[in-house]
Amino acid sequence: MKKKIVSLLLVAAMTVSMVACGGKGQQASNTEAGTEAAGTEAAQEEYKLDKITCVVNGTLTANVDCGQAEFEKQWEDAVGVDLVIKQLDHSSYNEQVGTLFVSGDYPDVMIMSADMYAQYAPTGILWDMTEAYENAEFQSRVTSKTTNESLKKDGRLYGFAPAYGNGCVTYVKTAWLEACGINADDIKTYDDYIDMLTKFTTMDPDGNGKNDTFGVIAAGFLGNEAPFINYLPEFWQDAYPAIYKEGDTWIDGFNTQATKDALVRLQEAYAAGLIDPTTLTNGTKDAREKWFSNDQSGSSGVFTYWAGSWYQTLTDNLSKNDVDDRITELAPIAEVGAYLDREAPVWVIIDDQDGDDSREQAIFDAFIETMLDGDTVQTLWVYGAEDVHWSTKAEEFTTNAGTEKEKTYTYEEGKFHLKQNPNDPNSLWKKNAIDPALLIAPLTNGYFSVEGLAAEGNAFFLENCKPAPESPASPTYTENAGTIYDAKIAVVTEVVTKGADVNKAMEELYVNVVGSIVDQCLTELNGN
Amino acid sequence: MAREKIVVKPKKKKIHVFDVVNYLVFVIIALIIIVPIWKVIVDSFNAVGVYQFQLWPNRPTLDGYKTIIETQKLYQPFLNSVYTTVAGALLGLVLSTLGGYVLAQKDLPGRNLLAAFLLFTMIFSGGMIPEYLVMKQLHLVNNMWILVVKHGINVYNLVLMKNFFEGIPESLYEAAKIDGCSPMGIFIRIVLPLSKAALASIGLMFAVTVWNDYSTVKIYITDPDQVNFQYKLRNMIMDGDTPTTAYAVSQTTLFNAGIVCAILPFMIAYPFLQKYFVKGVNIGAVKE
Amino acid sequence: MKKQKQVITSTGVPVREKPLGLRIWNNRGYYLMFIPVLVFVLIMNYWPMLGIRYAFYDFKPVGTPKFIGLDHFVKMFGTAAFWTAFKNTLQLSVMKLLITTFTAVVVSVFLNEMGNLFVKKSLQTLIYLPHFMSWAVVGGIFYLLLDPTSTGMVNGMLRDIGFLGESDPGIYFLADSTLWRPIFYLINIWKETGWGTIIFLATLSGINPELYEAADIDGATRMQKIWYVTVPALTNTIVTVLILNLAKVMNMFESVFVLYNPAVYDVSDVISTYIYRQTFMNAMPNYGYSTAVGLFKALVGGVLVVICNYASKKTRGRGIV
Repeated sequence: MKKKIVSLLLVAAMTVSMVACGGKGQQASNTEAGTEAAGTEAAQEEYKLDKITCVVNGTLTANVDCGQAEFEKQWEDAVGVDLVIKQLDHSSYNEQVGTLFVSGDYPDVMIMSADMYAQYAPTGILWDMTEAYENAEFQSRVTSKTTNESLKKDGRLYGFAPAYGNGCVTYVKTAWLEACGINADDIKTYDDYIDMLTKFTTMDPDGNGKNDTFGVIAAGFLGNEAPFINYLPEFWQDAYPAIYKEGDTWIDGFNTQATKDALVRLQEAYAAGLIDPTTLTNGTKDAREKWFSNDQSGSSGVFTYWAGSWYQTLTDNLSKNDVDDRITELAPIAEVGAYLDREAPVWVIIDDQDGDDSREQAIFDAFIETMLDGDTVQTLWVYGAEDVHWSTKAEEFTTNAGTEKEKTYTYEEGKFHLKQNPNDPNSLWKKNAIDPALLIAPLTNGYFSVEGLAAEGNAFFLENCKPAPESPASPTYTENAGTIYDAKIAVVTEVVTKGADVNKAMEELYVNVVGSIVDQCLTELNGN
Repeated sequence: MAREKIVVKPKKKKIHVFDVVNYLVFVIIALIIIVPIWKVIVDSFNAVGVYQFQLWPNRPTLDGYKTIIETQKLYQPFLNSVYTTVAGALLGLVLSTLGGYVLAQKDLPGRNLLAAFLLFTMIFSGGMIPEYLVMKQLHLVNNMWILVVKHGINVYNLVLMKNFFEGIPESLYEAAKIDGCSPMGIFIRIVLPLSKAALASIGLMFAVTVWNDYSTVKIYITDPDQVNFQYKLRNMIMDGDTPTTAYAVSQTTLFNAGIVCAILPFMIAYPFLQKYFVKGVNIGAVKE
Repeated sequence: MKKQKQVITSTGVPVREKPLGLRIWNNRGYYLMFIPVLVFVLIMNYWPMLGIRYAFYDFKPVGTPKFIGLDHFVKMFGTAAFWTAFKNTLQLSVMKLLITTFTAVVVSVFLNEMGNLFVKKSLQTLIYLPHFMSWAVVGGIFYLLLDPTSTGMVNGMLRDIGFLGESDPGIYFLADSTLWRPIFYLINIWKETGWGTIIFLATLSGINPELYEAADIDGATRMQKIWYVTVPALTNTIVTVLILNLAKVMNMFESVFVLYNPAVYDVSDVISTYIYRQTFMNAMPNYGYSTAVGLFKALVGGVLVVICNYASKKTRGRGIV
């Protein structure tokens, strides 16, 4: 028995000494890799790039089940560099990028949402591409310079947006409107909107004889991605529950009367059963799949989602699932005024920290410069791979053969057209990573396919939008964005789903928890 | 290895109220366990999600399973799970039998030190971040084989093997030693053949652990080609990352089909292997 | 293990101990066989311990680590979220342990009364089953059952029995702070009770039948026999199970991780999930801080193991490590 204790102690002592030894002089392991790769020879100018690793989210529609291999191959053939695509799960993309960065397994390029970009911009992880961007060859074709100008943080650009941001508009199932005898044009105020939700909830608009419908579904009462009020604008109205710039000053829009009022509106609607309760935890995909699912029990009538091509996609999905084939776009109600046009998602290049820009410049030239080349590569990003996603060859194909939705498409030789979705022969391919309607520099080869609902949707959005506030970039915010978001969610949950008093919840769960952090962010942002 | 000894008492033919109530209680317990599982199975074949418990799908479809079989994002994780489980069970078996066998040698000098060396790891560990940094150096981050390596050593299972080996009559070892067998020879020719049941139990323990592991993948793997099925399943159901496919399959159907696939391998094997699972627990727990 | 002085061979003949060097040489085969295990444990378990030093460093994805002494611990003890996580860890683990042990004892006792051997065996097979499902699967199953919308079975049934009105919104069990913990315990009961019975049933099968016969002669009823014979026989095993598992309370991770969500962090966040979020869900995590929290967890866990080990030796004459 004694011996056992002695030997245990021995092992413990051994460990302690190992820890102590290890502590000396040893540098952090993750920086080792960086300096190792340094090898800074004076071979600047022409850096020989042979491979680019690229991390993307779900917006690269050409996923592994949808012809990604062909896309990759055609890109490699056009650019002459190997491309390795790592497509992470869309809904947990932020989290996964965090994990990826912890692993030190940095890609060369990756896509980031606007507020991820704002968070990472001050960290030094992203390569400062200001000069590369200014001198880029595509500048001559860019029609909207402001998109990227507004992305600059303190005059420096760390990410590149090949397209406008786009935003969300409110969609309503037309059949449900008809079932409840509502005319969408009459929905002009918040009261009208609530009245519509109430009817959707109580009048059995899907006609299944059960009282199982909801007014509206969304991905979260509060989005975790700017603009945070995207998915329930009618409730948030003029509130913007995040740090944003009013005039020249950064302010915290969460602890404001406007936000409190919005929370009370949500609380009332939730208590009345107008909002699908899974909204609290839904990801965007949960919400939208449920909205157009072929199983409409428990579905909702209203869904606010991305404008333009999604108008088409949502309609197609409803139709594919035999639900309906009509969706009505709702003009912004008076209290909302205009839908928010969010900051565009950006492509960033990861700085390898070796103090030499030749590699990053080479990546820029191979990846970002070509993305807007107006021709082959840009087409790849916009429409996908030739003869997989689109074609100019003569062909004829039929979708939904043998059903009443059967439709035959005929194209003559040389006519650009989109093919069937490789993963779903019953629907047409729409776009790849970049929405053709949102490009900041048009394709010069004349390929254009934005028509029908997508074009209508874009026009509708452009008529009814205003730019979203800029995301804050400060070191304290970067370190605490997660904590701040958690605190906000706690307030929203407490107030909306549990009916707590909004002032009390705000004080206890937000001000007391993260108040000082938020203040520090504001000081940093408003400093100098 | 305690064999269930049932207390056989002279039975009176009379039916006791107690027995009736007891049976009734266990019918309820059995239902509590079966109902959720059966609902999952039925719903995985049902085209429309309903809340009611049904004995049979009312709108049967195989689309859920077809989607899983035909979508790379879903079948690839399943295959990864199979590979890592097989490899993990083998590695786990090798290490725990070797370690257990050596520690079972009562008069091995330094045996206590070796044991303490292993047991200390049960008291203290580096924690999530330091472990992560080590795995990074070993190039196991973003690599599905981490599932194998991470579960390769399980001190608890190793001690179970040790306890089992200690139960093998020492005379067998002595005889072999006299015949001039090396320790490895004795191990392979005498010990292992005598331990088939224990090997099966411990191997299954490892297999279940690796197959069921979700959090290791969540922490260490972001590469979608390397994740396992548990990860994909959870990701699909709770985080909403359902791959889109040709089938107009309802989410509920697909989710339930995914759950069935995740439990299927062990459900099939379970009735045959149950005694080994139970044996595994009893080797350690009951042998006081 | 006590008989160190003399070496006794299996034939029972005491022999004089050979010199240590020679004994080690004679056993070299065994040491060789142990090398793979040794290497593995060194790499997987001891090497990470070197990283504990980062608890005293400012260590971020960019830049070199900087020694900052105890700053992380000061921050940690001043953070409300940390204390919430610590308290939740203790409360969830201990309650879960007590509840599932209790249900396992009750089920074992009554299963032991089951006269029909076939029924008993079948029931055992059935109740062990959920243990083999992963937390990801169990989480998925209950997530779907407890869904607040119309496909969730539980809410549907509540409507059917009239507990919820037709137009009431469904109860979102997993996102409700007051309901989350009870649900968590219930799911644990569902998953682990059956498996927990194995050890108790084994103990029960070892009860001397004469005890029951004696009770019969005294005219005891079934319930009395259970109360005065069966249950006391389990006391030692119950204590053992509690001690064994008490040592693991700090380890709680996956069961919470698959069932919690931001809406219920206040009642569900445990130390491990807190570490996870601090590390992987921040744009610029401080690994030093996460390591410090991890170190705290490891130390508390280690102390618990040592205490339980001591308790185990006191109560059953055998340690747990």
